[in-house]
Amino acid sequence: MKLVIIGNGIAGNQVAFDVRKKDPDAQIVILSAEDVPEYDPCSLPYFLGGECGRMDVFRKTSKDYADGRIDLLYDSKVVSIDPENKTVTTHTGEKIGYDNLVLAHGGDLFIPPIPGIDTPGVFSCKQLGETQKLAAHKGTRAVVIGSGAIGIEAAEALKRKGYEVYIIELMDWILPSLFDEPTAKRLENELTGYGIQVFTHEKVLEIKGAGQVIAVVTDRRTIDCDTVVVATGVVPGTALAQTAGIETGRGIQVNRQMQTSVPDIYACGDCVETIDACTGEIAMFQLKHNAIEQAQVAARHILGEPVRYLGAYAFARAHFFDTHAATFGKTQRALDCVFGDKRIVEREDQNNYLRVVMLDNRIVGGQAIGTFADELGLLIGAMWRKDDFLDIAAKMRTLPKGGAVHAWPMVRLGTLLGM
Amino acid sequence: MNMRREQLAIDPEKCTGCRRCMIACAMKHHGRIDPDLSRVNIIGLDSKDLNVPVICMACDTAPCIKVCPMNARIRQANGTVTTDTDVCIGCRACVYICPVGSPRINPYTGRTMTCDMCEGETEPWCVAACRQEKALTLCTQGSVSHRAARKAASKTKQFHTGG
Repeated sequence: MKLVIIGNGIAGNQVAFDVRKKDPDAQIVILSAEDVPEYDPCSLPYFLGGECGRMDVFRKTSKDYADGRIDLLYDSKVVSIDPENKTVTTHTGEKIGYDNLVLAHGGDLFIPPIPGIDTPGVFSCKQLGETQKLAAHKGTRAVVIGSGAIGIEAAEALKRKGYEVYIIELMDWILPSLFDEPTAKRLENELTGYGIQVFTHEKVLEIKGAGQVIAVVTDRRTIDCDTVVVATGVVPGTALAQTAGIETGRGIQVNRQMQTSVPDIYACGDCVETIDACTGEIAMFQLKHNAIEQAQVAARHILGEPVRYLGAYAFARAHFFDTHAATFGKTQRALDCVFGDKRIVEREDQNNYLRVVMLDNRIVGGQAIGTFADELGLLIGAMWRKDDFLDIAAKMRTLPKGGAVHAWPMVRLGTLLGM
Repeated sequence: MNMRREQLAIDPEKCTGCRRCMIACAMKHHGRIDPDLSRVNIIGLDSKDLNVPVICMACDTAPCIKVCPMNARIRQANGTVTTDTDVCIGCRACVYICPVGSPRINPYTGRTMTCDMCEGETEPWCVAACRQEKALTLCTQGSVSHRAARKAASKTKQFHTGG
């Protein structure tokens, strides 16, 4: 069997090494658009901020590929797929045949159509090459456009490097897809406390400068700066799949075995559109743990094992300086278009904050800052099991105080929810 | 996947909340009498009337390994999952995703720490410290309690069926 994997990211490597572990004879080829072994994009902001060295971002070395007898071809950007003849074509025109093909090329950075976005001094923080350029850049004032997880982490990293940092967010609050307003406003206050200026509900109109960035113009103000970081999100790469006639929606469509609509072509990682394990809705959770799990499912199916993917889940953390926050599942805003009995449970204790989102008495999401976050995993478990909140509350009332040893998991959950 | 050959079993009914296990753990790993440096965590529920020892159960599909941005959570040969403190940056992702809330933060370094089963010792120090109460016991592979514990640990964050 000849297995060709497009993309040398988390998902691609997981498929390659999982298949190699069980099939010593398969011929495995990874086509990488970059020129380094597998690295972890999640580590890049910490490399940028100097919290870890360049070597620490790598998950593999060239030796790992040699030991696993995996052919890693650098600078091979695949431009088209021919499912009839089972070949892929790279940008140099080279044709490579396959028996099984895995699309794991991930997402592309969304570049907003802002005038001046290609001015020197505008960087991103998604790929190693770009991040290295940003790390080597000498500047003093930086504007981060977008306040998703990457934007916040990049802002922290630049602040650590001594920059004066501004964050501009188009939506009403920072981290808009991960947190609800009350949680996000608290995080915004913390950021401001660390000296990072945050401007929400502002639109960037233009990046000024000829030959070098000198200012960012928004609909409210002009900020002088010498560095701009674009962190406006990641969109799944679907163009390549379309050349093979694979069905795509927001991402590449796959079934429960990670197969696309074209035979012998699989897809996994940031480029696919998947389902939420808890609600069954179509979801785009472009997160590392989902990429790893999808790749493990794809590898098992390629090896002919019976397997069925149960779905992805949202879990993310926001961490800067001494502030720690985490979120999982749905936000209140994401529930706005859903029918049902919605309830929010909030707890507050000094700087610590917990917010649990419930739908029809079942936990569907939660956000926490500080010590409450330390036990957030219990709530994720409750979401997973679809625990009935009314049931827990009723049982908590009937338990004898101090004598409910057998029910300690429930007591622990109930205590966290303030019952 | 390395199945954990030995397993710590907890019995909250027997736990008196004396925290000797925490002191033993801190002594073993840091040589200091400081419960903050313990990998075992006794949590007091119901106004501290109910004490529960919380320890890492080294889930078969450990979610902490997958969410760590620095890839610092590593499955060891004995089946335990521990933090490589050289690369950990203290983001606490492993704490937040943990189904039992087990990784603890070293308050002096900000990095996380979890049970390594006192690798190399005849028996974990916390078990030795709890020999009288037996709220923390060591069960070996094949025993009923080992099977029960591993069954629970294989169910956390199950992401696929079949096989």
